[in-house]
Amino acid sequence: MSEFGFLDFNLVPLLPEVFLALSAMGFLLIGVSFGDEARRVIPWYALLALLMTGVLVSQVSFDDAIVLGGMFKADAYSGFVKLLIIGGVMATLGLSMRYLEQEHIDQMEFYVLVLLASVGMMFMVSAVNLLSLYMALELQSLSLYVLAAFNRQSPRAAEAGVKYFALGGLASGMMLFGISLIYGFTGSLDFGTLTASMMVMQPVPFAVIFGLVFLLAGLAFKLSAAPFHMWTPDVYEGAPTAVTALFAMVPKLAALALLMRILFEPFAYLVPQWEQIIIFLAVMSMIVGAFGAIAQSNIKRLIAYSSIGHIGYALIGVAAASEGGINAVLLHMLIYMAMTAGTFAVIMAMRRGGRSVERIDDLAGLSRSQPILAYALGILMFSMAGVPPFAGFFGKLMIFQAAIGAELYALAIFGVVASVVAAYYYLRIVKVMFFDEAVLMLDLNVLSGPQRFILACSVAFVLFFILSPSAFIDSTQLAAAALFPGR
Amino acid sequence: MFNETILIEYLPILIFIVLALGISGAAVIGSLLVAKQKPDPDKNAAYECGFDAFSDTRGKFDVRFYLVTLLFIIFDLEIAFLFPWAISLKDIGMFGFWSMMAFLGVLTVGFIYEWKKGALDWE
Repeated sequence: MSEFGFLDFNLVPLLPEVFLALSAMGFLLIGVSFGDEARRVIPWYALLALLMTGVLVSQVSFDDAIVLGGMFKADAYSGFVKLLIIGGVMATLGLSMRYLEQEHIDQMEFYVLVLLASVGMMFMVSAVNLLSLYMALELQSLSLYVLAAFNRQSPRAAEAGVKYFALGGLASGMMLFGISLIYGFTGSLDFGTLTASMMVMQPVPFAVIFGLVFLLAGLAFKLSAAPFHMWTPDVYEGAPTAVTALFAMVPKLAALALLMRILFEPFAYLVPQWEQIIIFLAVMSMIVGAFGAIAQSNIKRLIAYSSIGHIGYALIGVAAASEGGINAVLLHMLIYMAMTAGTFAVIMAMRRGGRSVERIDDLAGLSRSQPILAYALGILMFSMAGVPPFAGFFGKLMIFQAAIGAELYALAIFGVVASVVAAYYYLRIVKVMFFDEAVLMLDLNVLSGPQRFILACSVAFVLFFILSPSAFIDSTQLAAAALFPGR
Repeated sequence: MFNETILIEYLPILIFIVLALGISGAAVIGSLLVAKQKPDPDKNAAYECGFDAFSDTRGKFDVRFYLVTLLFIIFDLEIAFLFPWAISLKDIGMFGFWSMMAFLGVLTVGFIYEWKKGALDWE
C-alpha cells in the first residue's frame, strides 16, 4: 500500500466532525470529574456544541473535497444532510432534558452517547469507501444500542437494547458479507473505483449483485424497512421515550442518505438490478406500516409502524432513480422529522400521577383538559396522514410525482392506497382526543420550556410550510443535484 | 478489476478450511460411530481430579469479571494495532504517526473515564 506515502493532512473538511467528537470526549471527562455539578450544564453545552458544529458544517466549503485517503467526501449533499441530522439531534436533546429528569435517568453519558452517535451519522453521509462506511455505521449503531437500554432499572428497556443489539449485529454481519463479495469481485472498496469497475464489467458478475443484495439487506435493517422491520416496534416501545424520539428522527435519515449515496455513486450502472429490490422493500414497508399500526394500542408502537410506512414512501423516491426522486426523499424526510419532533413532545406530555403513560386511550378527553395540546397533535396527525394543506402532504406529493416521472405508475398508486389505509389510524388518535370521554385525566403542565418550543416550531412548520415551500425545496434540490450530477 | 489470480492466492485458505472441517468432523463423528457408548451418571459427571464433583459447572460469578474482560480487550487491541504501526512507521510517515496518536488519545479518554468511574476498583 504505497499510497499512504502521500496522504495529505487536509483536515479542514473534517472540522465539524472532529469538533463534535472532541466535544463529546471533553464532556465525558468533565462529567466524570465533576459529577452532579456537571449534570446540569452538560445538556446545554451539548446543545451549544451541536449548534457550533452546525455553523461549521455550513461554513466549510464543500467543493467535493475527498480527504483521509479517499475515505471521506464533503459535498453539498452531505452538508445538507448533516445540517438536518444536527437539527434533529438538537430537537431530541431539547425534548429529552426534562424527560430524563422525570424518569431519573439524567446521566451525562446520555448526552455523550447522543453526540457520538451524531458523529457516526455525520461520517455515514460523507463516507465514500465501504470501510469508512462500515466504521461510521458501527459508531452510530453501538451508541444507539447503549441508548436503547439506557434506563437500567427497566427490564423492557434492557430487552429493547438486547434485541436491537442482537439483530443489529446480524445486520452488520450481512452487510460485511456483502461488502466482502463486492470487494472480492471488483478488488476495491473505494466508491470511485467501484463506479469505474461497474462501468467496464458488463455484464456485472452475479456475485457482485449478490453482494449488493446483502449490503442492501443490512441497510434495510438500519432503515427498518420491511421485511427487516421486526425489531422496530419492540425497541420503540421498550426504549425510553427520549431515545425513541431520537430513533424515529435521525438515524433513519442518515441511513437513507447513505443508501442513496451507495445506489447513485458506485452502483449507478446497476439501476435495473437494485430497483426491483428497492420497490419490493417500499411495497412491503408500506403494507406493514399501514396494516400493522391498525391494531396497536401503544402510541410508541404506533409511531414505530408509522415510521416503517414513511420509510416505504421514501423508498419510492429512491426507486425513481432520478434527481427529482432524491429531492423528494430529502424533503419527505425533513418534513417527517419536523412532524415527529412535535409528536414526541406530546407523547412526553402524557403523564398521569407523575408516571408516563403510553396507551392511545390515555389521550381520551384531551381536547377538553388541554385543548392546545390536542389541537397540536391533531394537526400533526393530519399532516402525517398527508392531508393538505399541511406539510406532510407535500412530502408525499413530491414522492409520487417522482415515481410518476420515472413511470412507476403501479408503485405510485400503491403508495396512495397505503396512505389512505394509514390515514385510518392517524385519524383514530384525533377521534380519541376529541370524541372519547376521559376516564382519568392526564397531568397538566408537564412540558418544559424547550419541549413547548419544539412543539410550537413543529406545528408552525407543518401549518406554514405551504406559504413558502420553495425555501426548503431549493435547498433539497441543491443537495440532490450534488449527488446526481446529470447522469 | 476482477481477475482469477486473486482467487488463486486464497486457495491455501480454502484448503485449510476444508482440512480443518474434515479432521475435526472426522474426530467427532468417528468417535460417535465407532466408540461404544454406555453412559452412566458417574461417567457423565464433570471430572475433578478424581473427586466427586463439588458443584455445577455453570455457577454464577461476579459480573465485574465481564467488565475487566472488556477493558482488557480494549487494551489488547491497542497492542495489536501498535505492533504493525511501530514496524511500518518509517513508511507511513507523519500521517501514520498522528493517526495513531489520535487513536491513543481517544483510548486515553476512555481510560480516564473508566478509572474515575471506579471500574478498576474491585471493592
